[in-house]
Amino acid sequence: MKNYWLKWWQTIKVTWVKHTAYRLNFFLQIIGPGLVFFFIKYQLWSSIYRGDQQTIIGGFTLDQMIQYHVWGFLVALIAQANGSWNLSEDIRMGRISSYLIYPFQFHEYHTASFVSFQFIQLFIATFTLALIVLTQLAFLPSLYYLIQGTLFTLFISLFWFLLQYLVGILAFWLEETWIIRVIISIVSYFLSGAIIPLDLYPKWLTHILDYTPFPYLTYYPIQIFMERPVPVFQGYFVITLWMLITIFFINFVWKRGIKMYTAAGM
Amino acid sequence: MNSLIKSASHYFSVYKNFVSTSTQVQASFRTSFILLIFMDLFFYISSLASVSFIFDHVETIGPWGREQLMFYISYMLVIDAIHMMMFSHNFWQLSLYIRKGDLDFILLKPLSSIFSCFFRHFRTPALITFPVALFLLIYYGIAVDISAIDWMLMPLYLTLSITLIILIEFILSTAMFWMVEGTGINFLRMQMQQLARWPNFVFSDYIRKFLTTIIPVLLVGSAPVQFIYNKSRFELLIVMIVALIVLTKVLNTLWKVALNNYESASS
Amino acid sequence: MNAPVIRADKLSKKFISYKKAPGIKGTVSSFFKRKPIEKYAVNNFDLTINKGEIIGLLGPNGAGKTTLMKMFTGIIVPSTGELNILGHRPSDRNLDFRRKIALVMGQKSQLWWDIPAMDSFLLLQKYYEVSEQNFKERIEEMGTILNVTSLFHIHVRKLSLGERMKLELMASLLHNPEVIFLDEPTIGLDLVAQENIRNFVKRYHEKTNCTLILTSHYMQDVLALCKRLVLIFDGKKGYDGAIGDFEKILGNNKTVNFNFSNSQNIEEDFWKQYNPLWNEDSTQVEIQVPEDEVRAVGLEVLKKYPITDFQTEKMPIERVMKTLMENPDILRNQKTP
Repeated sequence: MKNYWLKWWQTIKVTWVKHTAYRLNFFLQIIGPGLVFFFIKYQLWSSIYRGDQQTIIGGFTLDQMIQYHVWGFLVALIAQANGSWNLSEDIRMGRISSYLIYPFQFHEYHTASFVSFQFIQLFIATFTLALIVLTQLAFLPSLYYLIQGTLFTLFISLFWFLLQYLVGILAFWLEETWIIRVIISIVSYFLSGAIIPLDLYPKWLTHILDYTPFPYLTYYPIQIFMERPVPVFQGYFVITLWMLITIFFINFVWKRGIKMYTAAGM
Repeated sequence: MNSLIKSASHYFSVYKNFVSTSTQVQASFRTSFILLIFMDLFFYISSLASVSFIFDHVETIGPWGREQLMFYISYMLVIDAIHMMMFSHNFWQLSLYIRKGDLDFILLKPLSSIFSCFFRHFRTPALITFPVALFLLIYYGIAVDISAIDWMLMPLYLTLSITLIILIEFILSTAMFWMVEGTGINFLRMQMQQLARWPNFVFSDYIRKFLTTIIPVLLVGSAPVQFIYNKSRFELLIVMIVALIVLTKVLNTLWKVALNNYESASS
Repeated sequence: MNAPVIRADKLSKKFISYKKAPGIKGTVSSFFKRKPIEKYAVNNFDLTINKGEIIGLLGPNGAGKTTLMKMFTGIIVPSTGELNILGHRPSDRNLDFRRKIALVMGQKSQLWWDIPAMDSFLLLQKYYEVSEQNFKERIEEMGTILNVTSLFHIHVRKLSLGERMKLELMASLLHNPEVIFLDEPTIGLDLVAQENIRNFVKRYHEKTNCTLILTSHYMQDVLALCKRLVLIFDGKKGYDGAIGDFEKILGNNKTVNFNFSNSQNIEEDFWKQYNPLWNEDSTQVEIQVPEDEVRAVGLEVLKKYPITDFQTEKMPIERVMKTLMENPDILRNQKTP
């Protein structure tokens, strides 16, 4: 048993080194886009409000709108940054063969990689939060909401990981899995309230969205950090349900994929 | 002059072959082909809907009303469609070429290496989505009632805009020659597109000046569209043309330095 | 006398890499202070090659052969030194220069993986502005000699390595280059494919009198094609001269092997004079015999001992190469002719 966990620990260490091997690249690929995304929204909303603190749009003052996007940036850092990039490549380049021989399985390796990635992201998020609080862009919520928000966001990150994993192993059939990844990110950015708060969406659309996992991916975690009332348990329930569905599909796809892979001897 | 025409027709015939080989390759990956079309369509919908939702709550953003901003967004969607069709894939390939050393063969060919690096891969699926973007441009162009002259000049505007954005991206891409892992540069490049997707007045004073002169991404859409709305606002268009000339020079110089730095990974 | 096709003068290429210790600690410390390591891949290399020559460029892995080839073709730029090929400086990457040369790399492919070779050929035709007529003739001719005409319309990814290499070779020769660089063209191929490619290159050279620079680890390639050898060790030139002289670099002895039907007395004086190498149970010996005595010694041994089998070495070049690779210092004491 101890040996088993040592495998995990060593893999986490190795993947940590791998993640941080190209620092500039890591910054440009993982943090940069979120930063620019936030920067644009900051500029955009400042210009929409024309710096007026009294104006209220969709229930948000300018201050609150900025805070919404600050927390949106942090949620994205923790929940959505992992791309499982290597996963598809491992399959496409045939590197998966070595995992079929190792006594440490493919999904274990990538889960360990995800865990080490999350450590890095939590570290970066903490640092960013400190900067944000120091520059008074947003205010620290009470400890209760901070912990609850972080836990929920970490839970969401697990769902994202499973989703990315599912997309990644489609590489058994698909040349370019990044297209699905981009589609998912476009749709989820739009429907999860990452671009503009869902409060500004037409009522009919938000009603429909309540039946999907999207609002839980960005909108609700932000709401927790902003100390607004949120159906947290419903959130855990809905996301758990979607995680189970995703795991079911991962199993399904993996079994067929590996069968085809070993049969074809790619 | 004669040799110029000859070389232009040479490059054109090579480009025709680029398009046909790219099309052949992509035709054999049908799922990707279809998914790419959906990717673009989702992107169009989310871009336009987001702006539209904001306008449900406000009258104007900066000096522009709903239709004016929608026209701007559509203009940038057309730029995006052209970019997607002709260039996008090449940037990703370039980082692979450099890392794996496949650039060797490009450097051996008797063609401008900038041409064979950045025009090599053509994305045929974008031929399907390009008319959609074009339709949006025409639809909102009619809504804001742009003049007949502007319609006639539209191909010129679009050419200027796409040339500017790709020049900026080409220049950024030269950094890949110094980096083992080029994907980061590709992400940086896409951030430039993100910035250009909004009109320049959205940005505060110093940032706008910086993004107009030093890294002139804000000129890509704002220069022509401001001019379309108001003919007395030609100053940005002039800055844009100056930027095009300067950036071409910068690219040529940087590209030479970058190639000299190419180490050609073995195997 | 024509000007040489290739002239390299004190050519050097320096690479800089950075050292990093393993683990997180190494990552952190290398973040602050990176230790640059300079390495000369090619060091003060002089070379002159005339039109129509076939040069074998040999050396162990990592000696700098490929770096040299890439400098010759203008892919990478020399750090110092002068290089002139067909009146051009390759690092200028002049388009006329590129039309005159070709590079074939056994380890890399220029054919498009996902489409048939013919489509890649058509693209190359456009690149090099080869006329329709000329293109057809060359494709037909080379394809027939290499016996690959039936493969033109098959996706390249479906071909075997040998088939692909033949098509690679064709792709590189479509524009009738004056100077051809072949970087390990036979690597990883089976014996028949190796021979096919060798024969093709030989015929092609006889017909066109092009200049050929070849690297290979297979001595058969070198023997079949080259008259002149250039050795490179650790970035420096070790030998430059005729292949016949090279074989005699370690002396004029020939190696002869004998197998016996029973164990022999290894202390016998007869063997000792020929520097014998015995196997464990003394049923086999390898001796070094001066070239002009091989016949006499052979006859004597056959008469006196219970021989079951014997061989004289076919390729002394292989033995010389191996000895030199294990001990490059030998060359330092040898005067290069």
